[in-house]
Amino acid sequence: MQIPQHRSRQRDGINMTPMIDVVFLLIIFFLVSSHLARQESRMELELPNATSGQEDIDQETPRITVNVKVDGSMWIAGRTIKPANLKQTFDEVRAREGDGVEVRIRGSRMAPYATFEPIMLACTEAGIWNVTYAVYREVDR
Amino acid sequence: MKRKSPLVRQSSETDFNNAMTPMIDVVFLLLVFFVWTASFQIVEYVLPSEMSAQMGNDEVQIDDPPPPSDFEDIVVRLRWAADTEQVQWSVNDQTLASLAAVGSKLQELVAVGADVTVILHPDPAVPLGYVIETYDQAKLKGFENVSFAVNPGR
Repeated sequence: MQIPQHRSRQRDGINMTPMIDVVFLLIIFFLVSSHLARQESRMELELPNATSGQEDIDQETPRITVNVKVDGSMWIAGRTIKPANLKQTFDEVRAREGDGVEVRIRGSRMAPYATFEPIMLACTEAGIWNVTYAVYREVDR
Repeated sequence: MKRKSPLVRQSSETDFNNAMTPMIDVVFLLLVFFVWTASFQIVEYVLPSEMSAQMGNDEVQIDDPPPPSDFEDIVVRLRWAADTEQVQWSVNDQTLASLAAVGSKLQELVAVGADVTVILHPDPAVPLGYVIETYDQAKLKGFENVSFAVNPGR
């Protein structure tokens, strides 16, 4: 009886294919899970367009992200916040993190400007000068 | 004529199938890997707006239009027409209909000096998108200081 050749070849060494399969699967699993975890932390908003937007490379600066929805409601760390309480929140973070605190405003492009005035005022009152806006680059859209 | 026996043919087919399956596995995995790394989400960028200290401390008379001859500060007003839901720009009291016109006006003014402060003064109802686009125009034309007017009363 003829014995297929590949059987004898299999015995020669460890079959690498399933191992590579499993390793790749694990890599993809961790990539996807970390990616999704990052995405979920961001509120879905239609940000304004700006061509002069810069890449967000500075990950070290302590940051407060203020999300502003179309209806004008403000959200910090998943909780709504009233404009009157902004200064207190900023003061607390500044006392904890120091002077280099950044306030990132992620506002819907259709939210009225009046919603953003209290945020900027609270920043100046709390002594935070590093205020940035999250934008999309027009070329990307 | 010599013909291959059915047993031999079956064996070579099995061999071929055995070789293809892991290759397809790996190719699909690579495909999925690259699809995931090239994210579907639009990348967010940052628009820095360093606020000047005067903004929070001084009682700036933002309701009064600046005198036309005053070129120390360039005031860009954004007015919101609620009935037409359109924004109307004015640069130092000169009304302009489009953002492109604002851009070309700022291009003229930047020749005077890029260190001139541009103050954006939008109506409360103007959507943020227009404000940021105007700010972007001023930055693109080369102005170094662009600030937002804020009404402390609101």
